[in-house]
Amino acid sequence: MRLRLPGAGRAGRAVGVLLAVVLAAAALPHVMPGSAALAALGPTATPDQIAAYDRRIGAGQNVLSGALHWLGGAAHGDFGTSLSTGVPVATELGERIPVTLELFLAAQLVALAIAVPLALASAWRPGGLLDRIATAGAFLWLAVPGFVLGLVLIWVAAVQLRILPATGWVRFGQDPAQNLKDLVLPALTLGLTEAAVYLRTLRAQLIGTLDQTYIAAARARGMATRRLLVRRALRPSALPLVTLIGIGLGMSLGGSVLVETLFAVPGVGNLAAVAIAGRDFPVVQAVVVLSAVGVVGATVLVDLFYRRLDPRIAHEHR
Amino acid sequence: MSTADLDLPATESGATNPSGPPVGLGRRNRRNRRIPISVLIAVGWLALVLLAVLAAPLLPGLDPLRGDFAHPAAPPGAGHWLGTDADGRDVLARTIAGARASFAVAALTVLVGLVLGGTLGLAAGWFGGWTDRIIGFATELLMSVPALIMVMIAVSLRGPSLPVIGSLIGLFTVPSFSRVVRAVVLSLADRGFVVAARMIGTSPWRILRREIVPHVAAAAAAFAFTATTVAIVAEGSLSFLGFGLRPPAPSWGGIIAEGRTTLGSAPWISLAPAAALCLTVLAANYLGERLRSADQKGGPAR
Repeated sequence: MRLRLPGAGRAGRAVGVLLAVVLAAAALPHVMPGSAALAALGPTATPDQIAAYDRRIGAGQNVLSGALHWLGGAAHGDFGTSLSTGVPVATELGERIPVTLELFLAAQLVALAIAVPLALASAWRPGGLLDRIATAGAFLWLAVPGFVLGLVLIWVAAVQLRILPATGWVRFGQDPAQNLKDLVLPALTLGLTEAAVYLRTLRAQLIGTLDQTYIAAARARGMATRRLLVRRALRPSALPLVTLIGIGLGMSLGGSVLVETLFAVPGVGNLAAVAIAGRDFPVVQAVVVLSAVGVVGATVLVDLFYRRLDPRIAHEHR
Repeated sequence: MSTADLDLPATESGATNPSGPPVGLGRRNRRNRRIPISVLIAVGWLALVLLAVLAAPLLPGLDPLRGDFAHPAAPPGAGHWLGTDADGRDVLARTIAGARASFAVAALTVLVGLVLGGTLGLAAGWFGGWTDRIIGFATELLMSVPALIMVMIAVSLRGPSLPVIGSLIGLFTVPSFSRVVRAVVLSLADRGFVVAARMIGTSPWRILRREIVPHVAAAAAAFAFTATTVAIVAEGSLSFLGFGLRPPAPSWGGIIAEGRTTLGSAPWISLAPAAALCLTVLAANYLGERLRSADQKGGPAR
């Protein structure tokens, strides 16, 4: 058992991981065939122009100086320029991150609205009829991948019932009502998939909590069931769920490539898919680093949050 | 091959509640030696799909490429059990051909994940120290990059071939395999039989081979089922995004994506392979979960 400055080792590792990701991303222009300069300047470019362009974007350099070049730019908020649109990558990301976050938040609402009440009801009587149905249902649900669920939702809501648009996106600022309509199917696809995971996690944790003596004591004092579940059991049981949501938020910075592409939502994931297909490596580079920052940052934050909530963790042997 | 009649028993079987009330000390001995019906159904479904994949080339009626031009987009019926697609190709034959591609990817994924991840996990858990730290760093690195995006990048550079897709998805299962195996090794390190072997002077390699690996195998096998489902779903997502295996050998994901445009008029083109995919993922998930809980209950106390 070692006692250390809380989180120092973790934070050091996190920085190391991020630097390695930046290095790997800087290798992209080297492995992507075809000159980025030719693609951007057109076939009439002179060798001088190509060399100047390569210097500017850092393509002609070795991986290490490419990574340093990229980091230097990133420090000033400059992530390069998209090869296919000519728009600065930072501008592009600035437009798309809010869309991705909106989708993430809506999906969390869907997932929590389903998972929390069901988990509470299931854990209250483990092995009861409701618990068995919910547990079996969640297990079945885990077998349905996002693209199948999205397709079925499109089939039901857009093709059969014609109540919602299958694809498309209007910004909230332009037309809030249409924006919410466009949001429903992608948010359901993401949220319903996560609901099963949340339900299983929270239920297992709740059953453990409800076994504790202080719950029995509260019950003996005659505390109402609803109050007992929500105030005494839910809060200490929510830690693993908080982790899942935190990491999910970090991951969502990279966007959900699948859902955003399926429903044509102009978020980061959609941007990534288009950029990869078009070999637009400055964009790809930025998205890869951005989602790594999201995941690593979320992991560190969740870790620190845990330590605050439960000091025992800091002393545990890892 | 009807998918519908397998649906109900599987639903009920899911209710066997693996994380139910805790089993007391006195009840650790095996309660029930018979194989539960739900396990038989799951194994049966996977065996049926495998058999269909192996037997399909021998059956003349199941050519996934020959179009029945008289009956394009025909609904499920006597001539074509699951209907035909827009080009009159038999959906059942295409679903089976898709299973072949999906299974091939999954097999390669599990091979890569099991060999690489298993070895790394053993090394990390057994040697500890710097070995553990370096492997830990590498797995953390792999887990913090967006896996789907990385595989898409690789496919855009090297082309959508089975080796590229299978081994890369496999690479991204390495951290999980490694962590599962490492945890088991750590839990074994100070257990009686390992300590005893060390006391009587058994060489570390021999202990690793004779005492550790057999115990690790069960946990790794359970996770192999999970990795199978991850591979099938990941490859399906890739195909859906246009980065998966290409015709003439599309996977389930590719076939499902093909049917998107005719979802309104001929939904079975997408929904039949989608149902096959979900049932397969369900069966593999279920077997993995059973193996995991059997491993935890059947094994000695932790």
